[in-house]
Parts: sequence; C-alpha cells; structure tokens
Amino acid sequence: MSGGVVDLSRSAAPEELSAEICVVGSGPAGATAAWDLARAGRDVVVLEEAGDYTGTALTQRDGRMYDQLYMDRGGRTTADLSVSVLQGRALGGGGVVNACDVVPIPDAVLRRWQRRFGLSGWSPEALAPFQARALADLSATRPGWDDPHVNANNRLLRRGADALGWRGELVMHNRAGCGGIGSCLVGCPLDAKRNARFVAVPGAVAAGARFLLRARAVRVEAADRELKTVRVRRLDPDGHHEVGELAVRARVVILAANAVGSAQLLVRSGIGNEHVGEHLSLQPQLPVTAVFDEEVRFFRGYPQTFGITEFERLDDEEHGWWGYRIEAISGTPGIVASILPGLGPAGKAWMSRYAHLAAVLCLLPDEPRGRIEVERSGRLRIRYALDEEQRRRFREAARSAARAFLAAGAREVLVPVVPPVSIRSEADLARLDAVTLRPASAPLLSAHQQGGVRLAPSPRDGAADPDGRVYGARDVYVFDSAGFPSSASSHTMAPIVAAAHHLAARLGARSP
Amino acid sequence: MRADFSIVSRRRFLRLALAAGGFLLAGGAASFALRGREARPGGLRAIGEREYRTLAQLARALFPDGGAFPPGASDVDLAGAFDAFLADEPEWNRKDLTRALVLLELGPILFEGRLRTFSRLSPEERLAHFERWGEAGLLRRQVATAFRRFFALVFYDTPAVWPHIGYDGPLVRGGTP
Repeated sequence: MSGGVVDLSRSAAPEELSAEICVVGSGPAGATAAWDLARAGRDVVVLEEAGDYTGTALTQRDGRMYDQLYMDRGGRTTADLSVSVLQGRALGGGGVVNACDVVPIPDAVLRRWQRRFGLSGWSPEALAPFQARALADLSATRPGWDDPHVNANNRLLRRGADALGWRGELVMHNRAGCGGIGSCLVGCPLDAKRNARFVAVPGAVAAGARFLLRARAVRVEAADRELKTVRVRRLDPDGHHEVGELAVRARVVILAANAVGSAQLLVRSGIGNEHVGEHLSLQPQLPVTAVFDEEVRFFRGYPQTFGITEFERLDDEEHGWWGYRIEAISGTPGIVASILPGLGPAGKAWMSRYAHLAAVLCLLPDEPRGRIEVERSGRLRIRYALDEEQRRRFREAARSAARAFLAAGAREVLVPVVPPVSIRSEADLARLDAVTLRPASAPLLSAHQQGGVRLAPSPRDGAADPDGRVYGARDVYVFDSAGFPSSASSHTMAPIVAAAHHLAARLGARSP
Repeated sequence: MRADFSIVSRRRFLRLALAAGGFLLAGGAASFALRGREARPGGLRAIGEREYRTLAQLARALFPDGGAFPPGASDVDLAGAFDAFLADEPEWNRKDLTRALVLLELGPILFEGRLRTFSRLSPEERLAHFERWGEAGLLRRQVATAFRRFFALVFYDTPAVWPHIGYDGPLVRGGTP
C-alpha cells in the first residue's frame, strides 16, 4: 500500500474512492489513529479540510494565518459571541497553532472518569502506556529557567507568584530547535514543533495511509450498514469555497475532527442518540494584561510556559479538575489589538505600549454543558453560557492575576472587559467586583474544546461506548476530545494523542 | 450587493443578533490586498458603496490619524479589507453582516432618536456613538465587538504600523531567523 498526501485543490480528484478505514481529521487524534492503524496493516484514508503549511509558508502574519490555520478563518465563536472558539485547521491539526503545552491527563481525572462516568477501561494504569507514548511522540521536555526562550513575560509572572508565595510550574512542551521567534499561535516557520504534522503524519504515510487535503467531510451515510459513505466536498486552494464532490466508501469511519467538528458531523448526518452534540466543555479563558516600565517584548520567546497552579485542584470532590490556572500568554500585534479595549486615540495609546505589555490567560475548568447544533443550511451553532459560579471564579482569577502583576512591579493592570478595569494598586482590586462578563463584553476564548460525543458505558448516559463506538451506528467511532466526559487536562494535545493511541489499540484488538 | 435601508424590523434585529457570530475576531482578515490611501468602491466584491462609506467612517473613528503614533485608517483601506473578507464568506454571513452595516449606519436614528445617520456624524460623535454600543444591549454589543476586532486585527497586521508599537515584525524570512 502506498501512502501519501494529496491536495485535492491542486490535483485531479476521483469522484469516488474506497478504503477500509476513513478518518475524518488529521490532527493529534486523526493522524495518531491513522499511524497506529496503518502500521497494523489497515488500509486508511484521512480527510482533512485544511491545507499543509510548513516552513516559511507560515508567514507569522495574523491576517493570512488566522484565515488559513483556524476554523471559520479564526472567526468561530459561540452563538452569542461570548467565547471565541479557536480551533486549529491544518494538516496536523491544532498542534500546528497551539502554544506547545504538554500536560497529560492527571490520574485524579482518570479516576473520576471511572467513578463518575463509568469508564472502567480508562484507569490510570490502563492509560499509562498510552500517555507515555504520547509524551514520546511529542518529544516532551520541561524547559528550565536557564532556557533563554523563557521570556520576560513568563519570568515576570513567576516573580509575582514568588513574591506572593504562590505555587507555579514551567509546563512541558514539544519544541525541538526552537528559535524563540514567538509566533507559535500562528505556526512555526522553523518547523520546531514536534506535533502531529511532523511525527504522526509522516509515520502514517510511511505505513501506507493516504491523506487527502482540502477535503471537507459533510455527511456520513449508511452508518448502520457495513459499508459507509462519507460525502466530501473538495475546496479551493484557500479553503474558502467548495468546488467539487467526492464519495469515500469505508467499512470503518473514525471521527477525529475536534470536539466541535466531530459532533457537528454526527449531528449533520443524523447519526446517534440524544447525547450527540451535548456535554460540550469549552474551558474558557480570560486575558488579563499589564504594562511595565521596562520593555517586556512578550511577543518573542515561548508565548506560554509558566503557569500559576496555586488555585488549581485536580481532585475536587464534585468537579474533578477545578479552580483556575493563570498562565503567561503573548500574541502578534493584530490579535493582541483585537483583545485590548479602547477605541480611537485611547486604543492607539494602548497599542503604542505593545512592547511593554505582559499578559496572562485565566483558564477555568468547566462543567460540560454546552451544545453543538447545526442548522438546515449547515451553519454551526455552539451554545454555551457562563453561569454565575464561572463569573465569580473568573473575577477571582482576574484578581489573582492582577495581584501577581502588581507584585511583579506592573505600573498598571488592565482587565480588557467592557468597560475596562484598570488596576494600579491593591486598593483598586475591588473594581473587579463590578465585572459582569455578560455576552459580548469580554474577550473570552476557548482553545481546548472537549465533549459533544461523550463516552459512556450505556447509551442512557453518553453518545459512544468507552471504546469510542458511536451508539446507533455500526463501526462509526469517535477518537478525539469529543469523547472526553469532562475536561481532561489544562492542555489537551497530549491527552488527545494518548486517547487516540488507546482507542486505536482497542479497535485493533477487536477487528480482524 | 445593495443594502436595504428600510427600517430594520424586530425580526431582522434578532437575525442580526445571530449574525455576527460567525465573524468575531475575523482572522479572515487574510489575503487582503490592502489598497492604500485611495479607496476604490467601484472594485467592491461584496458590499455596496454606501456600506463601504459607513465602514470607512467607522475605521477613521477607531483609528484616527495621529495621536500616539502617526498612521491611521487613512493609511490602510480597512473597509476594502472587510469587503475582501466578506466576499469569501458563506452566503448567510454575507447577508447578516451587510444587515449589520445597515444597522450601524442607522444606529443614531434607531437607538438615539437623532436625525443623522452614522456617516453624517462628526468624527468625535461617531466614536462616542460607537463606544456606547459596547455597553448597550446584546445586539449592539455583538455588532460593535465584531467590527472593532476585525478592524484591529487588520490595522495592526500592517507593517507600516509596527515600528510605532515596538514590534520588529516577522523574524523568519527564507527559512532562517
């Protein structure tokens, strides 16, 4: 079997092709599954609606890169515009544009999944070899403070945490040969990320898997029969317009298109039970910025590597992983300006201090209660509403972030909500009590979507069985974060790779 | 595409509330050929000349020339960028965002009982009016958020702006930092 990568926007495409297994999505889940299954001798075709961006095709420019590397050209949001849903879109998936954080699924979370959700086969012991493989795939290492790419933004946050006696950690990452240019969130032109694009995809191709780019899966038909048909639309070279059709016949269909995309495809296809599209977790994040007298230049070096873990709990009795984390973050000018408040001369004044800015994201574990809907036109609707408990926790997290920045010597802390909250001393912290976080008044974002096709031992409680097999369908599987019954980790790349290895092994064990 | 400037109905307001959803952040700012100082409404692909003017006036209010640094909206064709973005959007988003532009133009009349449309306000009035949208009802907050973020992303992705904010631009060209 001869593997390869074919861009359907630039090649003559057949109207129909066949494979034993059709994987939808080429990210950490899809590429990993394709790799494992192709190595086991299975005939695998992978559908990816994005293109392939490596090297200097990754221009480090906001406009072009958000257009090409994120779903809906970077514009995906919840239906009420409360949360910007940042979902990678590239050969290799979200790992192409993430901040390279590697955090495996904590044992406490897996034990809760066993206890609360009945996932008995997902014990820490059962997952251990797959979590180890994930770390190996990602070449995960933990940077040290002597690493020159741990930038001033991360160091200032640590300074603040140390001054307050708060715990924190340098997070493991999957970089090798990093040049510290800081453009991780719009792709690395040095190809220094050890992500699915550079590990699982070439591994799968070498083992015979075929990857089709600019191939958007829009419907799965005959899901209850042995031979399924995946309807595919070919896209133009920029991925903006559908220009043709293709049908893929396969005995097994594996959904690995992110939590949102996998649930969306099932909903659109009318497959599965009432849990499909439900139980979505967005793990929302709120930026907090600060101005320092000295230059910070947070846009160089690792955008995110130090996090304050003082307020994070892994084994909350009711929620499992809970509390909040505060993690350094940076961005290229366009995306930073789109988050900062201030219009007219005031907005320009804020951005004139870009090189002096520091920033963090307050990351909240959440209960999986969002929903994915698809209108008749095919338009996606992500329903998600903050509750009062989340608002309270966000205010608390913003207060902690502000305190850390002040302790580190910030001249001013800005919480970029409408109206913006400016904090120059601890006495100003009470201003955060007035923050309402009502929809479209804060730049909340989600980078770790999970759920939507919840795994559960019974169709009463979820949309797919613990091996990922979608209830009500025959050999249609979900292999990515869509199956997670709750937030797996503060950063989902490593959990997704581990889960894909685990589920591929389960599929391999039960199939000829 | 011509906008319908008839009074926007409640039903259409609700549709507008759903509209901006596919647009926020609008990284789609992408592949715009920014056209420089002189706008060319004649070459528009998705919006009409009136919508173009509304956007151009909004852009000048949000990014005035001078102030903290010289470049402003007159140096970057933000309205043209929006048109280029919109032309590659799905039909439902093109319709909804065009309606949002109508709403913006009529905002002073519909929401504040004034006798002038947005484009006919002075630059200072335009900015103040738009700022009020950020704290108004959900629909206006959504529209304000969407346009503000799109323009911010495009404006600050412009190399001419970077020296003024201390950004030295992309470091990798031709494969080496």
